[in-house]
Amino acid sequence: MGIDRRGFLKTIGVAGAALTVGKSFASSPETTTKSDTEFYGILYDSTLCEGCQSCEFACAEKYELPFPTEAPVPDVIKKTSDTQRVVINTFNTSKGEQFIRTSCNHCNEPACASACLTKAMYKTAEGPVIWRADKCMGCRSCMISCPFDMPKFEYNNPNPKIQKCRMCYEQMKNGEKPACVDVCPPEALLFGKRRDLIEIARTRIYSEPEKYHHAIYGEHEVGGTGLLTIASVPFEELGMRKDLGTTSYPEYNKTFLYSVPAVLVLWPAFLLGLNNSFLERKKRIKQEKEDNS
Amino acid sequence: MEGFSRVDIFDTKGMEYLFVIGYLILLIIFWRLSTKQVSLGKQIKQVIGVLTANVLRIPQGLFYSRNHTWTHLEESGAARVGMDDLLQHITGQVRIDKLLSPGEVIRKGDLLTEIEQDGKHLRIFSPISGTILDANSELAGSPELLNQDPYREGWIYRIKPSDWKKETGSYYLAEEAVNWSVKELERFKDFLAVSMKKVAPEPSLVALQDGGELRDNTLSHLPNEVWEAFQKDFLDHNS
Amino acid sequence: MNTIQQPGFFKFMMNELKPKGKIITPFNVIAGFTILVAAYILFFRFKDGLGSVIHASQDMPWGLWINFNVITGVAFAGGAFVVTFMVYIVGMEKYRPIVRATVLYALLAYMFYAGALLLDLGRPWKVINPIIGNSFGLSSVLFLVAWHFILYMGSLFIEFSPTITEWASLKKVRKYVVNLTLGVVIFGIALSTLHQSGLGALFLMAKPKIHPLWYSEFIPILFFISSIFAGLSLVIVMETINQRVFKNDMAFSFKSSHRGIMMSLARVCGVTMFVYLTMTILVFLHGKNYTYINTGWGAWYLVEIVGFVVVPCILFMFGYNRRNMLLIRTAAVMSILGIILNRLNISTITYHWYDKGFHYPTWKEVVVSAAVIFVQILVFRWIIRRMPVYRESPGWVTAKKENQSSIQKEERSKSWKVLAE
Repeated sequence: MGIDRRGFLKTIGVAGAALTVGKSFASSPETTTKSDTEFYGILYDSTLCEGCQSCEFACAEKYELPFPTEAPVPDVIKKTSDTQRVVINTFNTSKGEQFIRTSCNHCNEPACASACLTKAMYKTAEGPVIWRADKCMGCRSCMISCPFDMPKFEYNNPNPKIQKCRMCYEQMKNGEKPACVDVCPPEALLFGKRRDLIEIARTRIYSEPEKYHHAIYGEHEVGGTGLLTIASVPFEELGMRKDLGTTSYPEYNKTFLYSVPAVLVLWPAFLLGLNNSFLERKKRIKQEKEDNS
Repeated sequence: MEGFSRVDIFDTKGMEYLFVIGYLILLIIFWRLSTKQVSLGKQIKQVIGVLTANVLRIPQGLFYSRNHTWTHLEESGAARVGMDDLLQHITGQVRIDKLLSPGEVIRKGDLLTEIEQDGKHLRIFSPISGTILDANSELAGSPELLNQDPYREGWIYRIKPSDWKKETGSYYLAEEAVNWSVKELERFKDFLAVSMKKVAPEPSLVALQDGGELRDNTLSHLPNEVWEAFQKDFLDHNS
Repeated sequence: MNTIQQPGFFKFMMNELKPKGKIITPFNVIAGFTILVAAYILFFRFKDGLGSVIHASQDMPWGLWINFNVITGVAFAGGAFVVTFMVYIVGMEKYRPIVRATVLYALLAYMFYAGALLLDLGRPWKVINPIIGNSFGLSSVLFLVAWHFILYMGSLFIEFSPTITEWASLKKVRKYVVNLTLGVVIFGIALSTLHQSGLGALFLMAKPKIHPLWYSEFIPILFFISSIFAGLSLVIVMETINQRVFKNDMAFSFKSSHRGIMMSLARVCGVTMFVYLTMTILVFLHGKNYTYINTGWGAWYLVEIVGFVVVPCILFMFGYNRRNMLLIRTAAVMSILGIILNRLNISTITYHWYDKGFHYPTWKEVVVSAAVIFVQILVFRWIIRRMPVYRESPGWVTAKKENQSSIQKEERSKSWKVLAE
């Protein structure tokens, strides 16, 4: 590592102070709500990952899912499923074999939560996007909307659940770390406030510019995500999509949903007026006919 | 800073939808009210609205002067005077401010009193000569008596007449009074047609088409100039 | 009045429930068989979970029931809001003969296709959640669509209720309900605009997963415009069929006005399709989609647009011009196919277009889809054979109307008399 603990703490301290000051100058749109709690996130450093799959095992154990049976195979993409919430894939890249973690990205403005009509998919104030069983009716709109196709549905269950990483939300509220972060032997996973994690990621990149690709995946993608990834190669080589844009996905619905009340106000008034004018015209024509006859 | 805490761009949707539902209900009410307009036909059909000859009350046994006052000799020898029904139909609700005091002597043709409505006045002249015995003090507090009951409770003065027979000789009585009232009504319609051209308010308010009937309380819709002209034409006869 | 009807009402219902016409006909047999098989399939759908019946996967979450019955089927119910607009708002009496049938078709369509949606839900018993307020997902387009479906079904029911009251001889109720018609029609048109476009808006967030030739921010507007001519094309096809199938239940005025109405509808369809084409080209230019035309998907896109939008549009206009019913009917069928193609393209065929493999439904999905449509047709037929949809209204309705107009005439002449004196 190119930075020692003292330097690390100094950077965090300065960064934190700077960002707090900066916060007061930020403007928020009138139609949004803001809370004072800040997001937590997970930073995944692909250069430190050894592909041991300890995170997969820890997650499966915690949520009573079957243990994964296969090791990652280079360039064969394994996806999360209704029995696995986090997968490690491996790719042969320009810098050799690199690992990549795939799981729910816990977007800042999640498409799934916006699409959910029962608020079963819910963005908590602390950051994790969680699925709440008591509300879900299984419409699968979240699956249609998620740009990463993360929510997985239990098709073979008569009482189906949605399976997706929930960043161990209950444990987080008790001050513990998510299971995968806790167990990771090479400490490739870091848990903390998203703000701090971005600083740490930037620090790592600036400290070792040849080692890392100069971008943080999730800093701006889809409006920012809670799971941040840094790697040694461009993210396309690791099977990640770069064409998802930087607007948050609920923004795509904005024009339509904002115009709904307007239509409900304007159409009835316009139609009433139209109806009135046609009726008057009819009356007048009838009157003229009677006068002439 | 953005990207570090929760935002909800659809936060206000609930409020908006509730408001829109309220709006749709209000729109129905508002629309219904906006298309309400009293129609001309309705005006015709108002029960008290039409001033035709059959509406007039012309009790028998009273003398009617051409100034639209009536007088009636009671058994006690005192004569009561007041304004007739046609006049009160024409003017509508009026007030009487000044009344002569008992003991005053008046001659036929003297000013009896003034009736007033919204700053418009008409002078009522006495049909007989004599001494004022009594003035109806009720009229100050309840001027509607003039309209509701012009021949009984709405009496204006009790006068001791000095020359009853001679003065009432030329007045209308019984069937003559009825005929005369009908003619006066027609004359009033013509008067209106002439005045309208001068004053030009909305004709439909007052009368309906040529040969149509009059709206009740006709003069109350018309301005001062018409009242003055009416005074001259109908209330200023010296006979 | 109603107390006299009470014992009669029960008898009346029992009488109405008896089947009219032959029971064993080819249509009935096929429909009945399909429905029975569908019931059997649905038993397993609820016992073993959705996966046992539909071919959906983690990448393709929506199967035929949502993509076809809901997203496509509801477009065809768009005839109701167009025809009620023309008859009640603008006052074009020309279309009055088809109003009741169109509203009935739409009412049944929404009822059964919303039912099909319930079948495709993972946990249908929780559908009550967004309705009774156990957390409204206000940011969701599906929430809006679901609520609009419910409200619009209510509106259609009220629009259709004069027919029901005439059938059940509920005279006072009919009078009350008829007064509600204009308000409910206006509300229905506003709702229709929003949920027809809303069905398209469901896919707005799926931008990276739908092929760029079909995806744009204008999907809701295109869905709305296409629902106009989809609904009217379906009305043309439906009326063509009904003229033959229900000719014994049809009064003469409905038969004689058929041709004229079809011609006018063809013209409306043609013009609307022209507008739709213009919007499509506008979207095409806006998205700089010409870069995709040279691919296989590009060819497929041209097939859909040219073959199933441009061609029917031309056929409609020619058919109207030459008064040729065959051209019009062909155009209507082609435009229906075009709508199905467009909606399936967006929701299924080009969804995850970059993944290899062709997504197809299971035979079970197809059977259940077909069964839903069969049930809808059977109910439609039951109602047409009994209620005054294509028949003249019962005597007391027209008598009342004549009474009313003669009373009005008398009153008017009375008022003139007063003036004349």
